[in-house]
Amino acid sequence: MANNHLTSESKQLATWYLTFAAILFGAQLLFGLIAAIQYVMPGFLYGILDFSIARILHINALVVWMVFAMFGSVYWLLPDETGIETIGIKVGKLAYWVFVAAIVVVVLVFLLIQVGPASDTTIWFITEGREYIEAPRWADIGIVVVALTFVANLFLTGMKGKQTGIVTVLMADMIAFAGLYLAGMFFTDNISVDQYWWWWVIHLWVEATWEVFVGAIAAYGLITMIGAHRKVVEMWLWIEVAMLFGSGILGMGHHYFWIGTPEYWWEIGALFSALEPLPLVAMFVHVLYDWGKTQGAQNANGDETSVITNKPAFIWFVLNAFGNFLGAGVWGFFHTLPQINLYTHGTQFTSAHGHLAFFGAYATILVGMMYLAVQGKNGIKVMKNTKTSIWAVSMITGGVMGMTVALTIAGYVQVIVSRAQMGATWAAYFDGQSGVWFTQAMDWRLIMGVITFLGFLLLAKDLLTTGKNPVHER
Amino acid sequence: MANKSVWSDNRFWQRSATWVTGFAAILLIWLTFDTSAQISMGTDKDIQNKVTKRVPGPTVINYKITYERSPKRGLEVPIIGGNDGKGNSLFQEKEKFFGRDDWSEKEARAMLHLGKLGSQAKNCMDCHTLLGNGAYYAPDLTKSWLDPMWEDGTMQAIIGGTLGKELSKEEAMAEFLQHPELYPTHARQMPNLGITKKEAIGIVAFLKQMSSIDTNGFPRNFGKMKGAINGK
Amino acid sequence: MIDPLMIRPEIALADFLPIFISSALVLIFGGVYVGIYTAVKVKYLKPWAIIIAYGFWTLTAYCLYVMGSLMHVGDFTAKALVVAAIGLFLLPFAVYYMEDNVHKNNEHDTQGEEDGK
Ligand code: HEC
Ligand code: HEM
Ligand code: HEM
Ligand SMILES: [Fe+2]
Repeated sequence: MANNHLTSESKQLATWYLTFAAILFGAQLLFGLIAAIQYVMPGFLYGILDFSIARILHINALVVWMVFAMFGSVYWLLPDETGIETIGIKVGKLAYWVFVAAIVVVVLVFLLIQVGPASDTTIWFITEGREYIEAPRWADIGIVVVALTFVANLFLTGMKGKQTGIVTVLMADMIAFAGLYLAGMFFTDNISVDQYWWWWVIHLWVEATWEVFVGAIAAYGLITMIGAHRKVVEMWLWIEVAMLFGSGILGMGHHYFWIGTPEYWWEIGALFSALEPLPLVAMFVHVLYDWGKTQGAQNANGDETSVITNKPAFIWFVLNAFGNFLGAGVWGFFHTLPQINLYTHGTQFTSAHGHLAFFGAYATILVGMMYLAVQGKNGIKVMKNTKTSIWAVSMITGGVMGMTVALTIAGYVQVIVSRAQMGATWAAYFDGQSGVWFTQAMDWRLIMGVITFLGFLLLAKDLLTTGKNPVHER
Repeated sequence: MANKSVWSDNRFWQRSATWVTGFAAILLIWLTFDTSAQISMGTDKDIQNKVTKRVPGPTVINYKITYERSPKRGLEVPIIGGNDGKGNSLFQEKEKFFGRDDWSEKEARAMLHLGKLGSQAKNCMDCHTLLGNGAYYAPDLTKSWLDPMWEDGTMQAIIGGTLGKELSKEEAMAEFLQHPELYPTHARQMPNLGITKKEAIGIVAFLKQMSSIDTNGFPRNFGKMKGAINGK
Repeated sequence: MIDPLMIRPEIALADFLPIFISSALVLIFGGVYVGIYTAVKVKYLKPWAIIIAYGFWTLTAYCLYVMGSLMHVGDFTAKALVVAAIGLFLLPFAVYYMEDNVHKNNEHDTQGEEDGK
C-alpha cells in the first residue's frame, strides 16, 4: 500500500469490508448461474450440488455481501460525519476477521455437508433451512456478536464526535437492524408461527431498516459528491424515515395473507403496502431536486462544470434512486394487493421482483460506495468514468433488467396456466413450467445472467485498476 | 431565522419520524399479540371439542382432511373429519395414518416435531414453497397432502408397482421422500436427501398437518379444476 | 361435476394481463408526473410543462381505477387506492415546498460549518 491516501483507520477498515463484499458478490452470481442452468438442464450437478444448495449459496452470499458492504459504508462515512476517528477500531478489525472466518466455515459446510439428519444438531451446526437465514445457529450467534460490536463502535463514535442527523438515523437504524435478526433464531413446530416471525427478519430488514439505511447513505453521497445542502438533505432524511417506517412496518401485512394468519391482514397489508412506493418515488425526486439545485447554483455563479466529484459513484447512486423505485416500487406494487397476490404468491413473479428490488435498492448504492472508497483511497479529487466503468454498469444493469423481464414473463405464464387455469397442483405446476414461453424465459434468464456476470468481471477490474488511472483529477 | 416555518424545521421532522415509527411499531406489536393467539397450535382437546383452530393440533393426522369452499367466507377452507354442508368441520370421519387412527397427542406431536425439523434439515424450502414461501423450482407443498396425484392413486400405483406391494397414500409418500430419484415423473427431479424411514413418516405427518392450516383460500381452486385444462 | 363457482376464478383469465399492465403504469405514470413537476420547479423544463405533469397524474388515477375494478377490490381497498392516488398527487408539492423552504432559510449560511466537506 505504497500510495495509500487513507489516514483514517476507520476508512482503512471500510476498504476491507467493501473488498470482501465485492468478492462475495461474485460468488453470489456464480451460484445464481448454477441454479439458473439447472432450470434449463435439470441434470446439471444433480445429486452433487443440487438446486437447493446452489440457491442457498446464492441468496446467503447476497445477504452477507450486502451486510458487509453496509458495515463498510458506515466505517467509511463515520470519520467524515463525526469529525473524529472511529472508536474501537481494534475490536472492529477483530470482528471483521471473526465474521470472515465464520462465513468461510458456513460456506464450506453448505457446500460439503449440505443436509443433516432431522435433529437439533443439524439446526445448530449445518443448516436452519429457512430461506435467506439458513446459516446454522452457532453462526447466528456469531453474527449477532459481530453486529453488536459494530453497533457499539457506531454508538461510541457518534456520541463522542459530532452527532449529525445522518449519524443519528444510522444509530437508531442499525440497532433495529441487529435486533430484528433475533426474531429469526428460534425453532417451532408451528409453520405459521415460524413464517410469521421469519418475515420480521426478511421484510423488516429490506422494506424498513435497509431502506432507511439507504436513505442515510444517499444523503451522505449527495453531500459528498455534489455538495448538496446538509440541512436540506438531513431534513429530507427525517421525512423519509417517517414515510418508510410509517408504511413499511405495517406493510408487512402483505406477507400475512396466506400463511395461516387472520383475514384482517388483507386490509392492513393492502393499505400500508400500497403506500410503500410513495417514499420511493419521493426519494427519486429528491435526488433530482438536489442535483438540479446545486448544479443550478453553480451555473448561476458562471461555473458551467459539473458539480459531481465522482462520476461512476454518482451513476450508481442515481441508478439506486431509479432502481429502488422500479424494483421495489413498481414490481412490488404489481403483486401487493391480496386479490392478485392470491395468484402470484410464490411464482416467478416474486423472483422477478426480488431480483430487481435487491439489485435496484441495494446492490447499486453499495457499488457506489465502493467507488467512493476507491476515490478516497487513491486521493482523487474528481473521479471520472473509464470505458470499463461504463461497460460494467451497463452490462450489469442491462443483465438484471433482462433477467427481470424474463422472470416476469415466466411468472405471467405460471399465474395463468398453473394458478388461474389449473388450480396450483403438482400437475398444474409442471404444466406451467413446460410451456414454450416459460422455458424460453428461463433460457433468456440464463443468457442475461451471463451478461450480468461478465459485467461484474468488468466491475471488479475497474474497481481494482481505476484508482491508478491518470484521467482523474487529483 | 425568525419566520422559520415548522415544515422546514429539522426537529419537527425528527419528532414526527419518531412518533410515526413508534405508532406503527406499537400497532404491529398489538396485532402480533392478537395474531399469535389466533395461530397458536390447537390441541387434541380442541379437536375433541370440535373447535376449529387456524392451525390444528398434531392429532389432526387421525382425521380425514379435505379442502372445500366455505359459502360464508367465499373461499376454500380445510375441512377436518367431514363437512356439515355449510363449510364447517365435523371432526368425525377418521382416516388411518400408517395403519392407526388413534395416535395419541404425544405420539403425534413427536412425529410432527421430527417432520418439521426434517423439513428444515433437508432445506425443502429452497426448492419448494411452503405456504407459498420459499423457492420456485418445485411444486408448492401447502396442500400437497391433498394433491390429486396422491388422492387418485396415481403415485401409489407407480411406487407400489415398483415395490410390488399395495401402498396407502401416506406409505407411498414416505417411500417417495426416501427415494425420490427412483420415481421421477418429470425431467426435473427431486434428489435423494438421505431421508430415513422414521424421518419420512414425520415429514408426511408435517405435510398432512400443514394441509389442515386455514390459509384464507390459498391456493385457490386447488385440485378442483381437472376438467378445466387449457382454458375454458 | 365441477361446481361452477369453483371453476371461475375471481379474476377473469383475460383480465390478468390488463391488471399487470395497469398496475405497472400506475407507478410509471406517477413517477413521470412527479419527475416532470420537479423538473419544472428546478427549471429544467419550461413552466407550461406542468400541464403535462397533471396529465400524467390523471393517467395514474385512471390506471388505478382500471386495476381496482378488474381486480374486484372491496370497499376498503378501493378507499385505500384513492388515498394513495391523492397522496401521490400531493407528494411533489409537499416535497418541493419543504425543501425550498429549507433552502431559503439557509441561503445565507451555505458555506456554514455544518456543510461537512
Ligand atoms: C433439490 C430440490 C428439492 C428439495 C431440496 C426437495 N424437493 Fe421435493 N421435489 C423436488 C422436485 C423437482 C419435485 C418434482 C418431482 C417430479 O415431478 O418428478 C419434488 C416433488 C416433491 C413432492 C411431490 C409433489 C407434490 O406436490 O406432492 C413432495 C411431496 C416433495 N417433493 C416433498 C419434499 C420435502 C418434504 C422436502 C424436504 C424434506 C423436499 N421435497 C425437498 C425438488 C426438491
Ligand atoms: C428494497 C425493497 C424491497 C426488496 C429488496 C424486496 C424483496 C423481496 C423479496 C426478495 C421477496 C421474496 C421473498 C421470498 O423469498 O419469499 C419479496 C416479496 C414480496 N414483496 Fe418485496 N421487496 C422490496 C420492496 C417491496 C415493496 C415496496 C412492495 C410493495 C409495494 C413489495 C411487495 C412484495 C410482496 C407482495 C411480496 C410477496 C410475494 C409473494 O407473495 O410471493 N416489496 N420482496
Ligand atoms: C448472474 C445473475 C443471476 C442469476 C443467474 C440468478 C439466478 C437466480 C435463481 C435461479 C434463483 C432461484 C429462484 C427460484 O427459486 O426459482 C435466484 C434467486 C434469487 N436471486 Fe438471483 N440470480 C442472479 C443475480 C442476482 C442478483 C444480482 C441479485 C440481487 C442483487 C439476486 C437476488 C436474488 C434473490 C433475492 C433471490 C430469491 C428470490 C425469491 O425467493 O423470490 N440474484 N436467483
Ligand atoms: Fe415485504
